[in-house]
Amino acid sequence: MKNIFRVARWEFVSRIKSRSFLFNTFISPFLFTAVITLPLFIFNLQPQITTKLIGLIDLSGQNIKEELQRELNRNYRLDNRSSEYLVMNVAVNNSSSYNRMASKFEEIKSRLDSVSLVYDQIKEQRMEYYKNTRIPNRDYVLRTSYEKLQNTREEKELIEIELSRFKTALDSLYKREAQRMADSLLYTDVLNAYLIFLPDFAKTGIVEYHTKTPGDLREVERFEKILQTIIIKKRILNDQIPRSKLQRWFRPIYLKKYQLLQEGQQEWNFYVQFYGPLIGVFLLFMAIFTAGGYVFSSVLLEKSNRVIEVLLSYVTSSQLMGGKILGLGFLGLVQIFSWFAITGILLSTGIIPADKISYLTMQNALYFLIYFSLGFLFYGAIFVTIGSVSASEYDAQQINQLLRTIAIFPVLLSLLVLANPNAPLIRLLSFIPFLTPSFMIMRIPLSIEPITFDIYGTILLMIVSIGFMIIISGRIFRMSTLMVGKKLTPQEIWTWIKIK
Amino acid sequence: MSENILEVRNVSKSFKEQVVLKNLSFTVKSGETFGLLGPNGAGKTTTMRMIMNILQPDEGEILFQGQPRQRLKGVHFGYLPEERGLYPRARVLDVLVYFGTLNDLAPRKAEVEAIRYLDRLGIIEYTDTRINELSKGIQQKIQFIAAFLHDPDVLILDEPFTGLDPINQSVLQEILEEFKKKNKVLILSTHMMDQAEKMCDHICLINQAQVVIDGSVSNIRKRFREDAYYLEADAPIPFISSLKGIQILEEGKNNYKFVLEEGSVSLAEILKQVEQKTKIRKFEVFEPSLHDIFIRLIQEQTEVKS
Ligand SMILES: Nc1ncnc2c1ncn2[C@@H]1O[C@H](COP(=O)(O)OP(=O)(O)OP(=O)(O)O)[C@@H](O)[C@H]1O
Ligand SMILES: [Mg+2]
Repeated sequence: MKNIFRVARWEFVSRIKSRSFLFNTFISPFLFTAVITLPLFIFNLQPQITTKLIGLIDLSGQNIKEELQRELNRNYRLDNRSSEYLVMNVAVNNSSSYNRMASKFEEIKSRLDSVSLVYDQIKEQRMEYYKNTRIPNRDYVLRTSYEKLQNTREEKELIEIELSRFKTALDSLYKREAQRMADSLLYTDVLNAYLIFLPDFAKTGIVEYHTKTPGDLREVERFEKILQTIIIKKRILNDQIPRSKLQRWFRPIYLKKYQLLQEGQQEWNFYVQFYGPLIGVFLLFMAIFTAGGYVFSSVLLEKSNRVIEVLLSYVTSSQLMGGKILGLGFLGLVQIFSWFAITGILLSTGIIPADKISYLTMQNALYFLIYFSLGFLFYGAIFVTIGSVSASEYDAQQINQLLRTIAIFPVLLSLLVLANPNAPLIRLLSFIPFLTPSFMIMRIPLSIEPITFDIYGTILLMIVSIGFMIIISGRIFRMSTLMVGKKLTPQEIWTWIKIK
Repeated sequence: MSENILEVRNVSKSFKEQVVLKNLSFTVKSGETFGLLGPNGAGKTTTMRMIMNILQPDEGEILFQGQPRQRLKGVHFGYLPEERGLYPRARVLDVLVYFGTLNDLAPRKAEVEAIRYLDRLGIIEYTDTRINELSKGIQQKIQFIAAFLHDPDVLILDEPFTGLDPINQSVLQEILEEFKKKNKVLILSTHMMDQAEKMCDHICLINQAQVVIDGSVSNIRKRFREDAYYLEADAPIPFISSLKGIQILEEGKNNYKFVLEEGSVSLAEILKQVEQKTKIRKFEVFEPSLHDIFIRLIQEQTEVKS
C-alpha cells in the first residue's frame, strides 16, 4: 500500500515542476480567454475608432439629409460624444454630361417661367377688360386676347411636358452619375455605405443600402431601425398630425434584459452567460487532459524505456497504476486550486465583477472539483489502457487526439446549451460518460431550475463507468506492459479482459 | 550464518503455442555465483522474470527459503533487466532514491547509500545530472546501483557486462564478490563464456526449453576433460603425427592438441624428441573452456533433435 503513495509522489514531484504543467496552469487559461474574447473586443472597439461617412443620393427632393443626421445623432454616439455617423449628399457637379443636361433643364425652365409670366400677364389683362365695360372695341379685344391666351397656354403646356420629360431624364442621369460617384467613394473606403431614396420611398418603404459589407448585421440593423422611424414619421406627417405629438411618440426604446434566477432577479448579460461557462469547460478540459495526458505519457515512457520491468519487480501492477492515477490526479487538483486562487484574487480586486456573475459560488466550485475528479479518473483509466496497448508513441498520440476531440465536442454545442440547458438532446448527451463533465459544467451555471436529478444521475453513471474502466484497464495494463514493439490484435486484448 | 536457497522447481512456461521453458529445475545456494547460460532465445530472461515475479510460471514453483515466491515482498530481490532504461529527464540521485524507497528504504538512507555507491563506481560527479545527459555505460552503472541499493537477498543481473569497459567490468566484479561474501544469492546471465568462467561457481546451461547441464564449473570441466595435451613450439614439427601411439586431435600452425594411446609411448619421450628439433614454447594439460563445452553441447543437442 505504501508503494502506491511512493509512486504517486514520484509522479507528482516529477511533473509539478515541468514547464508544460506551469504553462497549462498559468498561461493557457489566459491565452484561451484572450482568444475567445478577442472578437468581442474587436467587435466593440473597431467602430468606435472613427466617424463613419454615409453617402446620400436623395431623389425625393424632401431633404432627407437633415432628418437622417438628426436621427443618427440621437441614437449612436462615440465614446467622446461626437456622432458616430456623418451623412453627406453625393455631389455630381463635376460630371460634364450632367452639367450640360442641367443647364439645358435650367434653360427650359426659364423658358417656361417666361411663358408663364406672359400667360399670367394676359390673364390679368383680360380680367381688366372684363371689369372695364367702357373700353372701346371691348368685344374685339376680348376675342383677340382670348386667342392669345389659348396660344400661350398651349405653348406653356408643351414646355411643361418637355420639362417634366427632361426632369425624369435628369433624375435618372443624376441617379446614375451620383451612384457612379458614390461607388468610387465606397470603393476607396471614403464612404462606409450610401443610401438611395427614390421619390416615392415614403409610399413604398424601399430604401437602397449600398455597402461593401452587407453581412455586417449590426450596421444593417441600425439603419433599418432609423429608416423605419423616418419613414413612419413621414407617413404620419402626411396625415396631418402635429409634430409635437410625433416627438413624444418616437422617443427611442431600449430593451433591458433580465433573467429569472433562483436568488432573485439579475440583469442578463450575454457575455457573462456565454463566455463564463465556456471558459469553465475549457479549464475543466485542460485539467482533465493535462493530468490524463501525463498518466498516458508516463505509462508510455516507462513502457518504451523498459523502466516498467524494474518497477514491476518491486511493486505490483495495480500499485503502479493506482500510484500514477493518485499522484497525477492530485496534480490536477493542485492545478484547479491554483485557478480557484487566481479567480479569488481577480474577484477581490474587482477585475471580475462578483455581483454580476451569479454562478461563482462555493457549491459550483465543488461541482467543478467533482466533475474534474470523475472525468480524470474516467479518461485516466482509458489513457492507461491506450498507453499500455499501443505499439508506438505515434499510434498512441493519434488516439489521444481523438479522445480530446470527443471531450471538447460539447463546446461546439455551447450555443444550444445556452439557449436551453435542459433540452432533451442536451440532457441525453450529458449521460454519455465521455461527454458528461463538459456538458454538466456548462449546464449547472446556465440552468435556471435545479438539475439535481441530472447531477446525481451523471455522477452515479460516471462512478459505475469508472469502476468498469479501471477493472478493464488494470487487466490490460498488467498483461501488456511486458510486450515490446508488438502490435496487439483486438482478440488478444479481449482475452486479457476476460481472464481473471 | 544460515544458508539462503532459491529453488526453481519443474517450471514450465509457454507464450501461446511456443514452449519457452519445460520442466526447468535448478537450485541456487547463497555464497555462490550462479550463471544462467544459453543461446539467444533459450529462455534466460523469461526465467529471471519469473524469479522476479514479473511473470508467473504456467506450471511448477519458485521457492526462496522454502517460501513460494509470490508470497514474498519484492524487497528481498534486486534486478537488473536485460533492456536498460531509466527516466531520461530525471536526475540521477532522485531516481536512485525513488527506487530505494520503493524497496522500503527511508529516503535519507537511500540517499546515503546511493551516494556511497556512486562514489564507489567513480561517478559521484553525476549525482545531480539528468539521466539523458549521461553516456550509455554510466546509465548502466546507475541501473546497477538501483538494483542493489537496498541490499537485497537475491540479486539477479541479466547480461550485466554488455556495454561496460574492462575497468568497469572489474569494478563490478569486485562489488559482486563482496555481495557474495555477505551470504546472498547471486544469479547472472551472460553470453560471454570467459566472463562466466571467471565469475561463476555454478552454471546452468539451458537450450530448447530444457536444462542441458547444471553443476559447478569445476565439476563440469572435469566431466569434459579428455586427458589431452596441448603443445606449442617455435617452428612446425610435422614428424609428431608419425610417432607411434599418439593421436592428434587438432593441428594449428605451430601447435598441436593430442592424446596418448594407453601404454604405448611416454610423455617424456615425446617431449625429448620435440626438443631435439625445436624449442617448446608452451606445454600443458588441456582443459576444455566453457566456450568449447557450450558449443559442443548445443551442437550435439541440435543434431540429436534433427
Ligand atoms: N512476452 C512474450 N511474449 C511472447 N513470447 C515471448 C515473450 N517473452 C519472451 N518470449 C519468447 O520466449 C523465448 C525466450 O525468450 P528470452 O528472452 O527468455 O530468451 P533469452 O534466453 O533471454 O535470450 P537472449 O539471450 O537473446 O536474451 C523467445 O523465443 C521469445 O521470443
Ligand atoms: Mg535475455
